[in-house]
Amino acid sequence: MLHYDFMQHAFIAGTIVAIMCGAIGVFVMARGLSFITHSFSHIGFSGASFATYVGWDPLEGLLLFTTVGALAIGRMGVKFFRREASISVMLSVFLGLGILFLSLSTQSGSFTSTILFGSVVGISSRDVWVIVVLTVVLLCLLTLGYKMLKFDSFDPVGAEAAGLPIRFISVAFLLLLSIGVAEAVQIVGALLVFALMTIPASTARHITQSVFKMIVVSAVLAVLGIWVGLTLSYMTNAPVSFYITAFEALCYFLALGWSSLKAKFQPIGT
Amino acid sequence: MIENFSVDHIDVYINGEKILDNLSFSVQPGEMLGIIGPNGAGKSTLLKVILGVIKPQNGTVEMTHSDTRPIVGYVPQSRAIDEEMPIQTWDFISLGLPHRIRPWLTKKDRILIKETMELTDTSRLAKKSIGKLSGGEKQRVFLAQALVRNPDVLLLDESTANLDPKAQEEITSLVQELCTEQHISTLFISHDIHLVAKYAHRVLYLTRGHYSVGRAQDIIENANMDVLYQPQHVHDALQTSVENRRYGG
Repeated sequence: MLHYDFMQHAFIAGTIVAIMCGAIGVFVMARGLSFITHSFSHIGFSGASFATYVGWDPLEGLLLFTTVGALAIGRMGVKFFRREASISVMLSVFLGLGILFLSLSTQSGSFTSTILFGSVVGISSRDVWVIVVLTVVLLCLLTLGYKMLKFDSFDPVGAEAAGLPIRFISVAFLLLLSIGVAEAVQIVGALLVFALMTIPASTARHITQSVFKMIVVSAVLAVLGIWVGLTLSYMTNAPVSFYITAFEALCYFLALGWSSLKAKFQPIGT
Repeated sequence: MIENFSVDHIDVYINGEKILDNLSFSVQPGEMLGIIGPNGAGKSTLLKVILGVIKPQNGTVEMTHSDTRPIVGYVPQSRAIDEEMPIQTWDFISLGLPHRIRPWLTKKDRILIKETMELTDTSRLAKKSIGKLSGGEKQRVFLAQALVRNPDVLLLDESTANLDPKAQEEITSLVQELCTEQHISTLFISHDIHLVAKYAHRVLYLTRGHYSVGRAQDIIENANMDVLYQPQHVHDALQTSVENRRYGG
Protein backbone atom coordinates (compact mmCIF):
# COMPACT_ATOMS: atom_id res chain seq x y z
CA MET A 1 0.00 0.00 0.00
CA LEU A 2 2.77 2.46 0.92
CA HIS A 3 4.66 2.00 -2.34
CA TYR A 4 2.07 4.22 -4.05
CA ASP A 5 2.95 7.93 -4.01
CA PHE A 6 -0.66 8.95 -3.42
CA MET A 7 -0.87 6.72 -0.30
CA GLN A 8 2.41 8.13 1.05
CA HIS A 9 1.06 11.66 0.56
CA ALA A 10 -2.23 10.69 2.18
CA PHE A 11 -0.49 9.21 5.24
CA ILE A 12 1.88 12.17 5.69
CA ALA A 13 -0.76 14.88 5.17
CA GLY A 14 -3.40 12.94 7.14
CA THR A 15 -1.08 12.40 10.12
CA ILE A 16 -0.06 16.05 10.27
CA VAL A 17 -3.61 17.32 9.96
CA ALA A 18 -4.73 14.81 12.62
CA ILE A 19 -2.11 16.03 15.12
CA MET A 20 -3.24 19.60 14.52
CA CYS A 21 -6.95 18.74 14.80
CA GLY A 22 -6.39 16.68 17.96
CA ALA A 23 -4.46 19.49 19.67
CA ILE A 24 -6.68 22.37 18.63
CA GLY A 25 -9.80 20.29 19.32
CA VAL A 26 -9.13 20.33 23.08
CA PHE A 27 -9.45 24.12 23.10
CA VAL A 28 -12.45 23.97 20.76
CA MET A 29 -14.22 21.79 23.35
CA ALA A 30 -13.06 23.85 26.35
CA ARG A 31 -14.23 27.09 24.72
CA GLY A 32 -17.55 25.58 23.54
CA LEU A 33 -16.81 26.30 19.88
CA SER A 34 -17.70 22.95 18.32
CA PHE A 35 -20.60 24.31 16.27
CA ILE A 36 -18.65 27.39 15.24
CA THR A 37 -16.04 24.93 13.91
CA HIS A 38 -18.81 23.27 11.93
CA SER A 39 -19.81 26.70 10.57
CA PHE A 40 -16.20 27.33 9.50
CA SER A 41 -16.22 24.18 7.42
CA HIS A 42 -19.33 25.40 5.59
CA ILE A 43 -17.74 28.82 5.10
CA GLY A 44 -14.72 26.92 3.76
CA PHE A 45 -16.91 25.00 1.33
CA SER A 46 -18.19 28.24 -0.21
CA GLY A 47 -14.58 29.55 -0.23
CA ALA A 48 -13.34 26.51 -2.15
CA SER A 49 -16.24 26.82 -4.60
CA PHE A 50 -15.52 30.52 -5.05
CA ALA A 51 -11.83 29.71 -5.73
CA THR A 52 -12.89 27.23 -8.39
CA TYR A 53 -15.21 29.78 -9.95
CA VAL A 54 -12.49 32.45 -10.21
CA GLY A 55 -9.78 29.94 -11.16
CA TRP A 56 -7.76 29.85 -7.91
CA ASP A 57 -6.44 26.90 -5.94
CA PRO A 58 -9.24 25.62 -3.62
CA LEU A 59 -6.98 26.01 -0.54
CA GLU A 60 -6.61 29.74 -1.28
CA GLY A 61 -10.39 30.16 -1.35
CA LEU A 62 -10.75 28.05 1.79
CA LEU A 63 -8.19 30.15 3.69
CA LEU A 64 -9.61 33.45 2.46
CA PHE A 65 -13.20 32.66 3.45
CA THR A 66 -12.45 30.97 6.78
CA THR A 67 -10.02 33.66 8.01
CA VAL A 68 -12.39 36.48 7.00
CA GLY A 69 -15.16 34.50 8.73
CA ALA A 70 -12.99 34.22 11.88
CA LEU A 71 -12.35 37.96 11.94
CA ALA A 72 -16.07 38.68 11.45
CA ILE A 73 -17.04 36.31 14.27
CA GLY A 74 -14.31 37.77 16.49
CA ARG A 75 -15.51 41.30 15.74
CA MET A 76 -19.18 40.58 16.37
CA GLY A 77 -18.50 38.38 19.39
CA VAL A 78 -18.52 34.61 19.79
CA LYS A 79 -21.67 34.77 21.96
CA PHE A 80 -23.71 36.04 19.00
CA PHE A 81 -22.58 33.12 16.83
CA ARG A 82 -23.18 30.53 19.56
CA ARG A 83 -26.91 31.18 19.25
CA GLU A 84 -28.68 28.31 17.58
CA ALA A 85 -30.45 30.61 15.10
CA SER A 86 -27.23 32.38 14.08
CA ILE A 87 -25.50 29.06 13.42
CA SER A 88 -28.33 27.67 11.30
CA VAL A 89 -28.48 30.91 9.25
CA MET A 90 -24.72 30.81 8.67
CA LEU A 91 -24.66 27.14 7.71
CA SER A 92 -27.48 27.60 5.22
CA VAL A 93 -26.17 30.84 3.67
CA PHE A 94 -22.66 29.54 3.09
CA LEU A 95 -23.79 26.15 1.83
CA GLY A 96 -26.09 28.02 -0.58
CA LEU A 97 -23.24 30.32 -1.68
CA GLY A 98 -21.01 27.29 -2.27
CA ILE A 99 -23.66 25.70 -4.47
CA LEU A 100 -24.08 29.00 -6.37
CA PHE A 101 -20.34 29.34 -7.09
CA LEU A 102 -20.16 25.69 -8.17
CA SER A 103 -23.08 26.11 -10.54
CA LEU A 104 -21.40 29.20 -12.04
CA SER A 105 -18.10 27.39 -12.51
CA THR A 106 -17.36 24.58 -14.94
CA GLN A 107 -16.32 22.03 -12.32
CA SER A 108 -17.80 18.57 -12.30
CA GLY A 109 -19.83 16.95 -9.53
CA SER A 110 -16.77 15.02 -8.33
CA PHE A 111 -15.20 18.30 -7.19
CA THR A 112 -18.25 19.00 -5.00
CA SER A 113 -17.93 15.56 -3.51
CA THR A 114 -14.18 16.10 -2.86
CA ILE A 115 -14.76 19.37 -0.98
CA LEU A 116 -17.76 18.09 0.97
CA PHE A 117 -16.40 14.66 1.88
CA GLY A 118 -12.63 15.05 1.39
CA SER A 119 -10.18 13.17 -0.74
CA VAL A 120 -7.04 11.95 0.89
CA VAL A 121 -6.01 10.05 -2.21
CA GLY A 122 -5.89 13.13 -4.42
CA ILE A 123 -3.19 15.00 -2.46
CA SER A 124 -0.15 16.10 -4.45
CA SER A 125 3.35 16.50 -3.01
CA ARG A 126 2.85 20.30 -3.24
CA ASP A 127 -0.31 19.97 -1.11
CA VAL A 128 1.67 17.96 1.44
CA TRP A 129 4.28 20.72 1.72
CA VAL A 130 1.64 23.43 2.10
CA ILE A 131 -0.09 21.39 4.82
CA VAL A 132 3.23 20.73 6.63
CA VAL A 133 4.21 24.41 6.63
CA LEU A 134 0.77 25.62 7.74
CA THR A 135 0.56 22.99 10.51
CA VAL A 136 4.06 23.73 11.84
CA VAL A 137 3.26 27.48 11.98
CA LEU A 138 -0.09 26.78 13.61
CA LEU A 139 1.37 24.40 16.24
CA CYS A 140 4.21 26.85 17.02
CA LEU A 141 1.69 29.65 17.61
CA LEU A 142 -0.43 27.31 19.73
CA THR A 143 2.65 26.41 21.81
CA LEU A 144 3.65 30.05 22.29
CA GLY A 145 0.16 31.02 23.38
CA TYR A 146 -0.47 27.78 25.29
CA LYS A 147 -0.50 29.22 28.83
CA MET A 148 -2.75 32.15 28.00
CA LEU A 149 -5.06 30.06 25.83
CA LYS A 150 -5.32 27.40 28.54
CA PHE A 151 -6.18 30.01 31.19
CA ASP A 152 -8.79 31.73 29.02
CA SER A 153 -10.30 28.43 27.83
CA PHE A 154 -10.56 26.69 31.20
CA ASP A 155 -11.14 29.67 33.52
CA PRO A 156 -12.40 32.70 31.55
CA VAL A 157 -13.37 34.70 34.66
CA GLY A 158 -9.93 34.18 36.22
CA ALA A 159 -8.20 35.07 32.93
CA GLU A 160 -10.07 38.36 32.62
CA ALA A 161 -9.36 39.21 36.25
CA ALA A 162 -5.66 38.42 35.77
CA GLY A 163 -5.56 41.07 33.04
CA LEU A 164 -5.14 38.74 30.05
CA PRO A 165 -6.05 40.28 26.68
CA ILE A 166 -9.12 38.04 26.36
CA ARG A 167 -10.51 39.72 23.24
CA PHE A 168 -7.19 39.29 21.44
CA ILE A 169 -6.90 35.65 22.59
CA SER A 170 -10.41 34.94 21.33
CA VAL A 171 -9.83 36.44 17.86
CA ALA A 172 -6.34 34.88 17.57
CA PHE A 173 -7.73 31.45 18.43
CA LEU A 174 -10.56 31.82 15.89
CA LEU A 175 -7.96 32.67 13.25
CA LEU A 176 -5.87 29.60 14.13
CA LEU A 177 -9.02 27.50 14.07
CA SER A 178 -10.03 28.87 10.66
CA ILE A 179 -6.62 27.94 9.21
CA GLY A 180 -6.85 24.49 10.80
CA VAL A 181 -10.31 23.95 9.33
CA ALA A 182 -9.14 25.07 5.86
CA GLU A 183 -6.35 22.47 6.02
CA ALA A 184 -8.51 19.67 7.33
CA VAL A 185 -11.29 20.23 4.78
CA GLN A 186 -8.92 18.98 2.08
CA ILE A 187 -8.45 15.67 3.90
CA VAL A 188 -11.75 14.80 5.53
CA GLY A 189 -14.05 17.22 3.73
CA ALA A 190 -16.19 20.13 4.88
CA LEU A 191 -18.85 17.93 6.42
CA LEU A 192 -16.45 15.88 8.55
CA VAL A 193 -13.94 18.44 9.86
CA PHE A 194 -16.28 18.70 12.79
CA ALA A 195 -15.66 15.01 13.57
CA LEU A 196 -11.87 15.24 13.59
CA MET A 197 -11.87 18.48 15.59
CA THR A 198 -14.30 17.42 18.30
CA ILE A 199 -14.59 13.62 18.74
CA PRO A 200 -10.95 12.80 19.69
CA ALA A 201 -10.91 15.70 22.19
CA SER A 202 -14.27 14.58 23.65
CA THR A 203 -12.93 11.03 24.00
CA ALA A 204 -9.72 12.25 25.67
CA ARG A 205 -11.80 14.18 28.20
CA HIS A 206 -13.15 10.90 29.56
CA ILE A 207 -9.83 9.10 29.90
CA THR A 208 -7.33 11.72 31.09
CA GLN A 209 -6.85 13.91 34.12
CA SER A 210 -4.88 16.89 32.82
CA VAL A 211 -5.02 19.36 29.94
CA PHE A 212 -1.63 18.37 28.51
CA LYS A 213 -2.48 14.65 28.58
CA MET A 214 -5.83 15.46 26.97
CA ILE A 215 -4.00 17.16 24.07
CA VAL A 216 -1.65 14.18 23.65
CA VAL A 217 -4.44 11.56 23.79
CA SER A 218 -6.65 13.59 21.47
CA ALA A 219 -3.85 13.93 18.89
CA VAL A 220 -3.00 10.20 19.14
CA LEU A 221 -6.65 9.21 18.64
CA ALA A 222 -6.99 11.52 15.65
CA VAL A 223 -3.82 10.07 14.08
CA LEU A 224 -5.00 6.50 14.72
CA GLY A 225 -8.34 7.37 13.11
CA ILE A 226 -6.61 8.61 9.95
CA TRP A 227 -4.33 5.53 9.78
CA VAL A 228 -7.18 3.09 10.36
CA GLY A 229 -9.37 4.97 7.85
CA LEU A 230 -6.73 5.03 5.13
CA THR A 231 -5.81 1.37 5.59
CA LEU A 232 -9.39 0.08 5.60
CA SER A 233 -10.36 2.36 2.75
CA TYR A 234 -7.44 1.04 0.68
CA MET A 235 -8.45 -2.55 1.46
CA THR A 236 -12.18 -2.19 0.89
CA ASN A 237 -12.53 0.76 -1.51
CA ALA A 238 -15.12 2.36 0.81
CA PRO A 239 -14.83 6.12 1.58
CA VAL A 240 -12.03 6.93 4.02
CA SER A 241 -14.17 9.50 5.89
CA PHE A 242 -16.62 6.77 6.88
CA TYR A 243 -13.89 4.70 8.54
CA ILE A 244 -12.37 7.76 10.27
CA THR A 245 -15.68 8.83 11.80
CA ALA A 246 -16.67 5.23 12.66
CA PHE A 247 -13.33 4.66 14.45
CA GLU A 248 -13.51 7.97 16.35
CA ALA A 249 -17.14 7.34 17.34
CA LEU A 250 -16.28 3.81 18.55
CA CYS A 251 -13.43 5.18 20.70
CA TYR A 252 -15.76 7.86 22.07
CA PHE A 253 -18.46 5.40 23.15
CA LEU A 254 -15.88 3.03 24.66
CA ALA A 255 -14.36 5.91 26.66
CA LEU A 256 -17.80 7.08 27.74
CA GLY A 257 -18.68 3.56 28.93
CA TRP A 258 -15.37 3.19 30.74
CA SER A 259 -15.77 6.55 32.44
CA SER A 260 -19.35 5.70 33.53
CA LEU A 261 -18.23 2.33 34.91
CA LYS A 262 -15.35 3.98 36.75
CA ALA A 263 -17.70 6.51 38.32
CA LYS A 264 -20.15 3.75 39.30
CA PHE A 265 -17.57 1.63 41.09
CA GLN A 266 -15.57 4.47 42.58
CA PRO A 267 -15.76 4.47 46.41
CA ILE A 268 -17.82 7.38 47.77
CA GLY A 269 -15.74 10.36 48.91
CA THR A 270 -12.78 9.79 46.59
CA MET B 1 5.12 45.56 48.72
CA ILE B 2 2.61 48.12 47.52
CA GLU B 3 3.44 51.70 48.49
CA ASN B 4 0.15 53.35 47.76
CA PHE B 5 -3.30 52.03 46.92
CA SER B 6 -6.05 54.58 46.70
CA VAL B 7 -9.29 55.20 44.87
CA ASP B 8 -9.61 58.91 44.10
CA HIS B 9 -12.92 60.61 43.37
CA ILE B 10 -14.27 58.02 40.96
CA ASP B 11 -17.61 58.32 39.18
CA VAL B 12 -19.04 55.33 37.33
CA TYR B 13 -22.14 55.40 35.14
CA ILE B 14 -23.68 52.20 33.79
CA ASN B 15 -26.45 52.55 31.17
CA GLY B 16 -26.71 56.24 32.04
CA GLU B 17 -27.21 55.57 35.75
CA LYS B 18 -24.67 56.79 38.29
CA ILE B 19 -23.46 53.75 40.25
CA LEU B 20 -20.44 55.20 42.05
CA ASP B 21 -20.41 58.89 42.95
CA ASN B 22 -17.18 60.68 43.83
CA LEU B 23 -15.87 57.67 45.78
CA SER B 24 -12.51 57.99 47.52
CA PHE B 25 -10.64 55.79 49.99
CA SER B 26 -7.25 54.19 50.48
CA VAL B 27 -6.11 50.82 51.79
CA GLN B 28 -2.86 50.14 53.65
CA PRO B 29 -0.58 47.12 53.02
CA GLY B 30 -1.86 44.18 55.07
CA GLU B 31 -5.19 45.89 55.76
CA MET B 32 -8.55 44.18 55.18
CA LEU B 33 -11.32 46.49 54.03
CA GLY B 34 -14.78 44.95 54.25
CA ILE B 35 -17.32 46.25 51.71
CA ILE B 36 -20.99 46.10 52.61
CA GLY B 37 -24.14 47.53 51.10
CA PRO B 38 -27.41 46.57 49.46
CA ASN B 39 -27.62 44.82 46.09
CA GLY B 40 -27.01 47.25 43.24
CA ALA B 41 -24.98 49.65 45.40
CA GLY B 42 -21.93 49.22 43.16
CA LYS B 43 -19.80 46.87 45.29
CA SER B 44 -18.86 44.50 42.44
CA THR B 45 -18.59 47.47 40.06
CA LEU B 46 -15.98 48.96 42.38
CA LEU B 47 -13.90 45.76 42.26
CA LYS B 48 -14.17 45.70 38.44
CA VAL B 49 -12.94 49.31 38.34
CA ILE B 50 -9.92 48.31 40.45
CA LEU B 51 -9.30 45.32 38.17
CA GLY B 52 -9.41 47.63 35.14
CA VAL B 53 -12.38 45.81 33.56
CA ILE B 54 -14.60 48.93 33.92
CA LYS B 55 -13.17 52.40 33.25
CA PRO B 56 -14.49 55.15 35.54
CA GLN B 57 -15.86 58.27 33.83
CA ASN B 58 -14.02 60.44 36.36
CA GLY B 59 -11.32 59.83 38.93
CA THR B 60 -8.47 57.33 39.15
CA VAL B 61 -7.31 54.18 40.92
CA GLU B 62 -3.74 54.74 42.10
CA MET B 63 -1.55 51.70 42.73
CA THR B 64 2.19 52.12 43.10
CA HIS B 65 4.71 49.43 43.92
CA SER B 66 8.25 49.91 45.20
CA ASP B 67 9.89 47.85 42.37
CA THR B 68 7.46 46.60 39.78
CA ARG B 69 3.90 46.81 38.42
CA PRO B 70 1.38 46.00 41.17
CA ILE B 71 -0.32 42.62 40.87
CA VAL B 72 -4.02 42.20 41.66
CA GLY B 73 -5.57 38.86 42.67
CA TYR B 74 -9.32 38.32 42.34
CA VAL B 75 -11.63 35.67 43.79
CA PRO B 76 -15.22 35.84 42.51
CA GLN B 77 -18.30 34.28 44.10
CA SER B 78 -18.67 31.73 41.34
CA ARG B 79 -16.88 30.69 38.18
CA ALA B 80 -18.16 29.17 34.95
CA ILE B 81 -16.04 26.03 35.03
CA ASP B 82 -17.00 23.04 32.91
CA GLU B 83 -16.95 20.30 35.52
CA GLU B 84 -16.54 17.65 32.81
CA MET B 85 -13.21 19.08 31.71
CA PRO B 86 -10.28 17.16 33.20
CA ILE B 87 -8.34 19.96 34.82
CA GLN B 88 -6.59 19.01 38.05
CA THR B 89 -6.40 21.34 41.02
CA TRP B 90 -2.62 21.66 40.66
CA ASP B 91 -2.96 22.59 36.98
CA PHE B 92 -5.78 25.03 37.77
CA ILE B 93 -3.71 26.86 40.40
CA SER B 94 -0.77 27.08 37.98
CA LEU B 95 -2.98 29.11 35.60
CA GLY B 96 -2.68 32.03 38.02
CA LEU B 97 1.12 32.33 37.63
CA PRO B 98 2.31 35.52 35.92
CA HIS B 99 2.17 34.94 32.18
CA ARG B 100 5.21 34.23 30.12
CA ILE B 101 5.54 32.86 26.61
CA ARG B 102 7.36 29.76 27.91
CA PRO B 103 4.77 26.95 27.79
CA TRP B 104 6.28 24.82 30.55
CA LEU B 105 6.67 25.42 34.30
CA THR B 106 10.10 26.10 35.79
CA LYS B 107 11.38 24.64 39.08
CA LYS B 108 10.73 28.05 40.67
CA ASP B 109 7.13 27.98 39.43
CA ARG B 110 6.62 24.49 40.89
CA ILE B 111 8.01 25.55 44.28
CA LEU B 112 5.73 28.60 44.29
CA ILE B 113 2.66 26.46 43.50
CA LYS B 114 3.62 23.92 46.21
CA GLU B 115 4.09 26.67 48.82
CA THR B 116 0.80 28.34 47.91
CA MET B 117 -1.01 25.01 48.16
CA GLU B 118 0.47 24.42 51.60
CA LEU B 119 -0.56 27.91 52.74
CA THR B 120 -4.13 27.44 51.55
CA ASP B 121 -4.35 23.80 52.71
CA THR B 122 -5.02 22.51 49.20
CA SER B 123 -2.00 20.14 48.87
CA ARG B 124 -4.18 17.07 49.46
CA LEU B 125 -6.40 18.15 46.53
CA ALA B 126 -3.49 18.48 44.05
CA LYS B 127 -4.41 15.52 41.83
CA LYS B 128 -8.18 15.88 42.11
CA SER B 129 -10.22 17.23 39.23
CA ILE B 130 -11.55 20.73 40.00
CA GLY B 131 -15.08 19.62 39.08
CA LYS B 132 -15.05 16.97 41.83
CA LEU B 133 -14.34 19.37 44.72
CA SER B 134 -16.83 20.61 47.32
CA GLY B 135 -17.82 24.31 47.45
CA GLY B 136 -15.40 25.07 50.30
CA GLU B 137 -12.53 23.22 48.61
CA LYS B 138 -13.16 25.07 45.36
CA GLN B 139 -13.05 28.45 47.11
CA ARG B 140 -9.71 27.51 48.69
CA VAL B 141 -8.41 26.56 45.22
CA PHE B 142 -9.67 29.85 43.72
CA LEU B 143 -7.93 31.69 46.56
CA ALA B 144 -4.72 29.71 45.89
CA GLN B 145 -4.89 30.64 42.20
CA ALA B 146 -5.17 34.34 43.13
CA LEU B 147 -2.34 34.06 45.70
CA VAL B 148 0.10 32.18 43.46
CA ARG B 149 0.67 35.45 41.58
CA ASN B 150 2.03 36.99 44.82
CA PRO B 151 -0.56 39.77 44.65
CA ASP B 152 -0.17 43.18 46.25
CA VAL B 153 -3.92 43.69 46.24
CA LEU B 154 -6.51 40.94 46.77
CA LEU B 155 -10.17 41.38 45.82
CA LEU B 156 -12.81 38.96 47.12
CA ASP B 157 -16.27 39.37 45.61
CA GLU B 158 -18.65 37.52 47.95
CA SER B 159 -16.25 34.63 47.56
CA THR B 160 -17.59 32.76 50.59
CA ALA B 161 -21.28 33.50 50.00
CA ASN B 162 -22.18 29.96 48.90
CA LEU B 163 -20.48 28.25 51.84
CA ASP B 164 -21.71 27.14 55.24
CA PRO B 165 -20.86 29.44 58.19
CA LYS B 166 -17.96 27.23 59.36
CA ALA B 167 -16.28 27.24 55.92
CA GLN B 168 -16.90 31.01 55.62
CA GLU B 169 -15.10 31.60 58.90
CA GLU B 170 -12.22 29.27 57.99
CA ILE B 171 -11.56 30.92 54.64
CA THR B 172 -11.96 34.52 55.84
CA SER B 173 -9.69 33.84 58.81
CA LEU B 174 -7.12 32.28 56.44
CA VAL B 175 -7.31 35.33 54.17
CA GLN B 176 -6.80 37.67 57.11
CA GLU B 177 -3.78 35.68 58.31
CA LEU B 178 -2.17 35.58 54.85
CA CYS B 179 -2.85 39.24 54.16
CA THR B 180 -1.29 40.35 57.40
CA GLU B 181 1.76 38.07 56.94
CA GLN B 182 2.31 38.99 53.29
CA HIS B 183 1.23 42.68 53.53
CA ILE B 184 -1.53 42.26 50.95
CA SER B 185 -4.12 45.04 50.78
CA THR B 186 -7.45 43.20 50.73
CA LEU B 187 -10.96 44.30 49.80
CA PHE B 188 -13.72 41.82 50.52
CA ILE B 189 -17.40 42.13 49.74
CA SER B 190 -19.77 40.31 52.05
CA HIS B 191 -23.40 40.40 53.09
CA ASP B 192 -22.46 38.69 56.35
CA ILE B 193 -22.19 41.47 58.89
CA HIS B 194 -20.76 39.08 61.53
CA LEU B 195 -17.92 38.14 59.22
CA VAL B 196 -17.16 41.74 58.26
CA ALA B 197 -17.30 42.94 61.86
CA LYS B 198 -14.98 40.16 62.99
CA TYR B 199 -12.32 40.24 60.25
CA ALA B 200 -12.30 43.66 58.55
CA HIS B 201 -9.92 46.27 59.90
CA ARG B 202 -12.14 48.93 58.36
CA VAL B 203 -15.47 48.90 56.51
CA LEU B 204 -16.66 50.69 53.37
CA TYR B 205 -20.46 51.01 53.41
CA LEU B 206 -21.82 51.68 49.93
CA THR B 207 -25.34 52.70 49.09
CA ARG B 208 -26.39 54.04 45.70
CA GLY B 209 -24.63 57.39 45.41
CA HIS B 210 -23.37 57.53 49.02
CA TYR B 211 -20.62 55.89 51.00
CA SER B 212 -18.87 55.93 54.35
CA VAL B 213 -15.57 54.41 55.44
CA GLY B 214 -14.36 53.76 58.94
CA ARG B 215 -13.93 51.27 61.77
CA ALA B 216 -16.36 48.36 61.66
CA GLN B 217 -18.26 49.25 64.82
CA ASP B 218 -18.59 52.93 63.86
CA ILE B 219 -19.87 52.17 60.37
CA ILE B 220 -22.28 49.45 61.48
CA GLU B 221 -23.53 51.66 64.31
CA ASN B 222 -24.12 54.74 62.17
CA ALA B 223 -25.23 53.26 58.88
CA ASN B 224 -28.89 52.79 58.14
CA MET B 225 -28.77 49.03 58.00
CA ASP B 226 -32.44 48.40 58.70
CA VAL B 227 -33.09 48.54 54.99
CA LEU B 228 -30.57 45.82 54.45
CA TYR B 229 -30.27 43.59 57.43
CA GLN B 230 -32.34 42.58 60.43
CA PRO B 231 -31.64 45.02 63.29
CA GLN B 232 -31.02 42.12 65.69
CA HIS B 233 -28.24 40.78 63.44
CA VAL B 234 -26.62 44.21 63.30
CA HIS B 235 -26.78 44.48 67.06
CA ASP B 236 -25.29 40.99 67.54
CA ALA B 237 -22.53 41.66 65.03
CA LEU B 238 -21.64 44.94 66.64
CA GLN B 239 -21.59 43.31 70.05
CA THR B 240 -19.30 40.50 68.82
CA SER B 241 -17.00 43.00 67.12
CA VAL B 242 -16.70 45.20 70.20
CA GLU B 243 -16.12 42.18 72.45
CA ASN B 244 -13.50 40.74 70.12
CA ARG B 245 -11.61 43.98 70.07
CA ARG B 246 -11.90 44.36 73.84
CA TYR B 247 -10.88 40.81 74.71
CA GLY B 248 -8.73 40.02 71.68
CA GLY B 249 -11.08 37.35 70.25
